[in-house]
Amino acid sequence: MLKYKNPLMVLVFSAAIFSCPFFLNAYWIDVINNIGLYAILALSLNFIVGYTGLFHMGHAAFFAVGAYTAAVLNTSYSIPILLLLPVSGAAAALFAYLVARPIIHLRGDYLLIVTIAIVEVVRIALVNNVFGLTGGSNGIFGISRPEFFGLTIRRPHEFFYYIWSFLAISVFLFYMLERSRFVRALNYIKNDEVAAEGSGVDVAYYKLIAFVLGAFWAGMVGNIYASKMTLISPESFNFWESVILFVIVILGGSGSIRGVILGAFLIVGLPEIFRQFAGARMLVFGAAMVAMMVFRPQGFLPPLPRKYATHKIKPGDETL
Amino acid sequence: MEFFFEQLINGLAVGGIYALIALGYTMVYGVMRLINFAHGDLFTIGSYLGMTILATWAVAEYLGPFAGILLLITMVMFLVGIIGVILERVAYRPVRQADRLSAVVSALGASIFFSNLVMLIWGPRFRVYPDDILPRITLNILGLDVPLLRILVLLTSLSLMGILYFFVQKTKTGTAIRAVAIDHGASRLMGINVNRIISLVFLIGPALGGAAGVMIGLYYGQVNFTMGWSYGLKAFIAAVLGGIGNIPGAMLGGLLLGVIEALGAAFISTAWKDGIAFIVLILILIFRPTGLLGERVADKV
Amino acid sequence: MKTRVKFLVLSLAIALLMGVGSAWAEIRIGLMCPLTGSWASEGQDMRDIVLLMADEVNAAGGINGQKVTVLVEDDGGDPRTAVSAANRLATRDITAVIGTYGSSITEAAQGIYDDFGIIQIANGATSIRLTQKGLKYFFRTSPRDDEQGRVASETIADMGYGKVAILHDNTSYARGLADETRGLLEQDNKEIVFFDALTPGERDYSTILSRLRRANPEVVFFTGYYPEAGLLLRQKSEMGWDVPFLGGDATNNPDLVSISGTSAAEGFYFLSPPVPQDLDTPQARDFLSSFNEKYGSNPGSIWAVLAGDGFLVLSEAIKATGSLDKDELAAYMHNELSIEGLTGAISFDQHGDRVGELYRLYRVDGQGNFIMQE
Repeated sequence: MLKYKNPLMVLVFSAAIFSCPFFLNAYWIDVINNIGLYAILALSLNFIVGYTGLFHMGHAAFFAVGAYTAAVLNTSYSIPILLLLPVSGAAAALFAYLVARPIIHLRGDYLLIVTIAIVEVVRIALVNNVFGLTGGSNGIFGISRPEFFGLTIRRPHEFFYYIWSFLAISVFLFYMLERSRFVRALNYIKNDEVAAEGSGVDVAYYKLIAFVLGAFWAGMVGNIYASKMTLISPESFNFWESVILFVIVILGGSGSIRGVILGAFLIVGLPEIFRQFAGARMLVFGAAMVAMMVFRPQGFLPPLPRKYATHKIKPGDETL
Repeated sequence: MEFFFEQLINGLAVGGIYALIALGYTMVYGVMRLINFAHGDLFTIGSYLGMTILATWAVAEYLGPFAGILLLITMVMFLVGIIGVILERVAYRPVRQADRLSAVVSALGASIFFSNLVMLIWGPRFRVYPDDILPRITLNILGLDVPLLRILVLLTSLSLMGILYFFVQKTKTGTAIRAVAIDHGASRLMGINVNRIISLVFLIGPALGGAAGVMIGLYYGQVNFTMGWSYGLKAFIAAVLGGIGNIPGAMLGGLLLGVIEALGAAFISTAWKDGIAFIVLILILIFRPTGLLGERVADKV
Repeated sequence: MKTRVKFLVLSLAIALLMGVGSAWAEIRIGLMCPLTGSWASEGQDMRDIVLLMADEVNAAGGINGQKVTVLVEDDGGDPRTAVSAANRLATRDITAVIGTYGSSITEAAQGIYDDFGIIQIANGATSIRLTQKGLKYFFRTSPRDDEQGRVASETIADMGYGKVAILHDNTSYARGLADETRGLLEQDNKEIVFFDALTPGERDYSTILSRLRRANPEVVFFTGYYPEAGLLLRQKSEMGWDVPFLGGDATNNPDLVSISGTSAAEGFYFLSPPVPQDLDTPQARDFLSSFNEKYGSNPGSIWAVLAGDGFLVLSEAIKATGSLDKDELAAYMHNELSIEGLTGAISFDQHGDRVGELYRLYRVDGQGNFIMQE
């Protein structure tokens, strides 16, 4: 029975989540949708912060590029928003490549401050209506809803399936990736960059790929967000959003998929539960954040150590 | 040309305040390697405490403006320093052994807590310092009108930096602080009480933030509960620009940031002011990856 | 059959958990406002005013004998939280909702209330497009940007200034007003010598003031909010620069004078709907005296007073129609409603916009009082 513990947990969790629409009202479904969106975003950030150990606090910039790409193309050329999903991702990835390339050699806190600078520059550019495309501080409105074979997704209950299916697919892909050579190289960089370099890992290249992949996913979430809100404005992509994502990853357990999803539940869900405190709700939330970190300094669900079936390897086998 | 100098002075005055907040930031960072995101909110608490003390006790009336202000700043520095020590004890010490980012999240939580605490205690409205505590004298330097207060702000930052630098470089406790900054474990073996030194740093750093808070309140007259976040961010940038952990670096970074903002706003666009400052920051860090005065530390192998 | 019972029990339990209590025998009105975040002061004023008015109505026996319950939700002043707040209110059996402050935040919630068929009366949402979508249940007690832009350009023309500097703060409200005014002034052949934005939330605006002075305008029109306006006035007087300043309605807050200092504020003009203090109507007088009694001061923000107007509109509509049906209420509000509110006469056009000349010109006198100009 113990052997199947993990798949069983996943199954129970999925069943619990996907039964939500049958008994929760629109408000709670909307909260769960937000949790889902932030979970996907945090998973994409987890690539950069959790796996690779880069201090990146500017993820909202990639999210913004994806959302604005979708919004501009959808409202100006009326391209269906769903078709723009990969386009948003690609635009964010390209942007990430361009900005991360010159700064990839920065270490620790210096990288942190530069990523903060990037997200702020992006926000200021959006506010100032750069290229006359972004609508300034008004943002872009009238973004169409996604359509699946003539079925328009409008209500929170409908978005629920869209967002959580996307999350399920993301989790599956990231889970597969986690076991790959590629993510192992990223983990190596996280644990000891110098040793990784010495063992022939092209550190700068791998870091860049981590950024580009993370940004691609964040860009796609930007697209979903744009279609969910139907209007986007620069204030939704400020530094604070990046901070929230960062906190989700660290609090949940940096580098662990389960942890990040739990983190999203805590960080997005708790302020909603604390609504009963009205004006004091963010005070309680701040105190809760400190308390959680103090009691679980390594995060709630830190990644499990890798297991390898070493006993199955016979002499002469090619290893992994 | 006159316009240029006018803007330069505007920039230096703002930069002096950034520098003052950045000093506390960099102090804590140097010893703990912790980005204390709550620093900006300690600064806010300082300016509110200053306001309350001024309003209730009218220190300036008994002692005359300058001695009164000096006493006020000392009191606020002490109070905010105590809050800093408690903060370290409650929120940072338990996570010291964990990953560095855990402490960052704890600091962010503390920041949310403090800013909302200020909102609940003093209310969400803008609050105003009692007017005309200090005489509003305007000096005429080289044909430019410069309010005296601006010069005082700058002088205060410079002298605090001087005192701090002297303290860290020349005194025995300062040497201990530097030792702890380099290696906690080795310092402990040398007989330094590391916890005590860290508490001391958390007394000094937030106290400097509190002093900056009072200066802001006195000079601009208006405080509100969200101001710590943006000032904290600017001060953090200033500290990194100069080379984080480095005391003269924080000063240089603060002044430079103020000047970049002022000149960017004056000659390019005011709407892009912060954007220009951030872009310059990115460019500087691309070419000097550890800031202007930061040491190039070899990686630990 | 058994499953149905189970389902019923389950949904009942959940309904209780979610706080969906009995919805009968009382009138449930939502209030969506920013209780946290940068606009918390506006939101808390809105809450104070609406709760005060609801208490008074209940003390006097309610509306048509029914008690009024106000459900307050925090929208945090940001669109995403606003969507959550709107969904939360919409699922709690409310007839109508008052709020909120900020056009983009209001817009994020608009669609949700419309989907649920809930009447929304916004109080601080001036963006023109909000009422251009054909939403049947959307109203606002605040005026529109173009209305204020028109009054601003006329005022500048009346004052006889030719060279105008326009300063905004890049929020959608201030930007909208600045753009609107610039367009009208240019049509009027006025010279715009300066058009740029400051960064709100800062303390030091001497850089931008130096630039403004260099552009040498005859009048400066600042479309942003009172904290920045107060600092601008204060630092302008420190610079020894003497140029008339005109502000938009977001500068109408007594704190402006305390921030700038009385002497620096003297001579500052601003446009605003009339505040209750300047109206000689029984509604305004009663409201002021009970507000002062409870909170010990005059209400701070005009926008929060407009939320109070939203409450008056709703209670009048419910009283007159004797119904809680959204279509009946909306039809009444569109066509027949005409009341004396806290900021003057209120009635709505077919779009849900407030009808009538609302703006007045104010000037700050030597004691820091806001004096309405004739």
